[in-house]
Amino acid sequence: MGGTIELRAFMGLQMLFRERGWSIPHTFEIEGEMTGEDLLVRLDIPRDKVESFFINRLAIAIEGSVIRPGDRVALVPPGVPGPHRLLLGIHNKAKSRELFGLSH
Amino acid sequence: MAKVIRVNMTDLTVRTEEAPAAWAGLGGRALTSTIVAEEVPPTCHPLGPNNKLVFAPGLLSGTAAANSGRFSAGAKSPLTGTIKESNSGGTSARLLSRLDIKALIFEGQPVGDAWYRVHVNKDGVTIEQETETLGKTNFAVLESVASRFSEDFGVLTIGPAGEQMMGIANISVRDTEGKLRSFGRGGLGAVMGSKKIKFITIDGDGSSPIKLADPNAFKAASMVFTKTLKDHPVSGQGLYTYGTAVLVNILHEAGGLPTKNFTSGQYEHHEKISGEKMYENITARGGEPSHGCSNGCVIQCSQVYKDTAGNYVTSGFEYETIWALGADCCIDDLDIIAEIDNVMDDLGVDSIETGVMFAVAMEAGILPWGDGKEIIRLLREEVQKATPLGRVLGGGTLAVGKAYGLTRIPVVKGQAIPAYDPRAVKGIGVTYATTTMGADHTAGYSIATNILNVGGKVDPLTNVGQVELSRNLQIATAAIDSTGLCLFIAFPALDIPECLGSAVDMINARYGIKLTMDDVIGLGKTVLKIEHEFNLKAGIGPEQDRLPEFFELESIAPHNVKWDMDQKELESFWNF
Repeated sequence: MGGTIELRAFMGLQMLFRERGWSIPHTFEIEGEMTGEDLLVRLDIPRDKVESFFINRLAIAIEGSVIRPGDRVALVPPGVPGPHRLLLGIHNKAKSRELFGLSH
Repeated sequence: MAKVIRVNMTDLTVRTEEAPAAWAGLGGRALTSTIVAEEVPPTCHPLGPNNKLVFAPGLLSGTAAANSGRFSAGAKSPLTGTIKESNSGGTSARLLSRLDIKALIFEGQPVGDAWYRVHVNKDGVTIEQETETLGKTNFAVLESVASRFSEDFGVLTIGPAGEQMMGIANISVRDTEGKLRSFGRGGLGAVMGSKKIKFITIDGDGSSPIKLADPNAFKAASMVFTKTLKDHPVSGQGLYTYGTAVLVNILHEAGGLPTKNFTSGQYEHHEKISGEKMYENITARGGEPSHGCSNGCVIQCSQVYKDTAGNYVTSGFEYETIWALGADCCIDDLDIIAEIDNVMDDLGVDSIETGVMFAVAMEAGILPWGDGKEIIRLLREEVQKATPLGRVLGGGTLAVGKAYGLTRIPVVKGQAIPAYDPRAVKGIGVTYATTTMGADHTAGYSIATNILNVGGKVDPLTNVGQVELSRNLQIATAAIDSTGLCLFIAFPALDIPECLGSAVDMINARYGIKLTMDDVIGLGKTVLKIEHEFNLKAGIGPEQDRLPEFFELESIAPHNVKWDMDQKELESFWNF
């Protein structure tokens, strides 16, 4: 069953929202439960622009995440500093280096 | 020959010694904590003659290594009663290193009322009586030094708060553009004031470039190291563009943004004080969104913030400062927060301790919530003039909370808790409780999981795995603090093995030694144990390794969580 989610973004992704004329928060309609990867496709936001999500205010890795109608979802771009990267779980050890566009 | 210079403020004599062999592999925090632990009686009064104030460049300070312009100050802290290391940028670390000064140690205390200035150059150290800048604020001291001596000197100075030996007093350091960086935490400005030193100047004329044992190996390692900093999205892009203030919105979203004296984890007006808003203001007003605190910085997390007329207001406008005055004091205007930051720099007070103190003062009814103009008045008219109220405020968060009979006083070992609520971010709570420094967010920063076996995801709202995580972070942080490298190298170190590896390679090439990664991590463990032992001898034991009770009694929105870590589990932190 479909419904809406509430989207937020940080840093450069806020600029992207503004360029698209989206408010923060931006209400977005989804057909039903979907994966995080599918949500990014629906939003037309490249995977390498997002490091992790907050879903209902908890940091969640994109891989394996599930978005449901009614959720509050925030997109965390690569580049966010702070001790919380580990302590909140934004830093995901399994993530590939290619995600960061590293050249080695 | 690396020198240790001892300045005795009791008899105003100077002694220059060859650095002991045992200190050869030590720098920065490792050296300041070793010296304080060996030479300061743990039970001494922090403002008395037996305390010592130690400045030490890091192992890589003064070299061409990127982000190596940091140095450490150490003493017994008047705010916490513990051993203390504080870390700063500016120009002085480089100058001290190039003068081959491994440590500058201030001992004793003058008997009379006279104040002094201390000058360091290639010929040694001189002590002169100082009258002109007494009672003056930090920016006035910088102007005075520039006009009387040189614009190129490194300067370490205290403002009126340090002269009055207040717990919120910092030691300010001149930066590359003639503004100020700080040894912020722990009231070290009061220790300098207790020795009646108004300012220290450092003249690098005639000094030599650092001699490298293996210049080619150093250059090769340095190139790899710099590349890792530039390649990583945090050190190469995020911090460069937005600075640390980007954390306002992130911590709000996580429900860990302490608000209105730690009564909530979310702040209604977070967008108005966010890093994104700061970036917008800076770019619209002709400021600088990217700026370094010291020579050779490639991360550039600092910035120059201007007012609407395009006039300089402040630089190094950090998340923790903006959080303390913004969410914690409920001031929703970034321009007023910037103005307060400038005043705090001028008076020489720690922007975390002072901001958290004002939130407690607001709860006490001393001033209304959100009243930034009144904070400026209180700083200028009460703290600066050391009135009775100014002395209470200048005593710091705990002093104000006690004076007004409050129970919600966010401190550990007398030092204000910074910008991450330990109920919603349990791991930082372990760090606040157990660190040897009193509540200090930088004591346990992110670092390489692969090296330290900090694996997997830790749920921030549960206690599982938090002690081990905090322990490993604190060990690694102590090691980084000893190198003279900026702590923010932790971000690439977390993801790129070559980052820490090349840092160790640089140390080896600098000194002609063969340290391994394990040796460096071992140094971090040793530093923590030295500091812990000092604290135990000072009477600060496991009973003080805890958070204030209100965190166990009051839950915070939006996660409605309390602090519920078992004390025995916290005590297991030291099992290594």
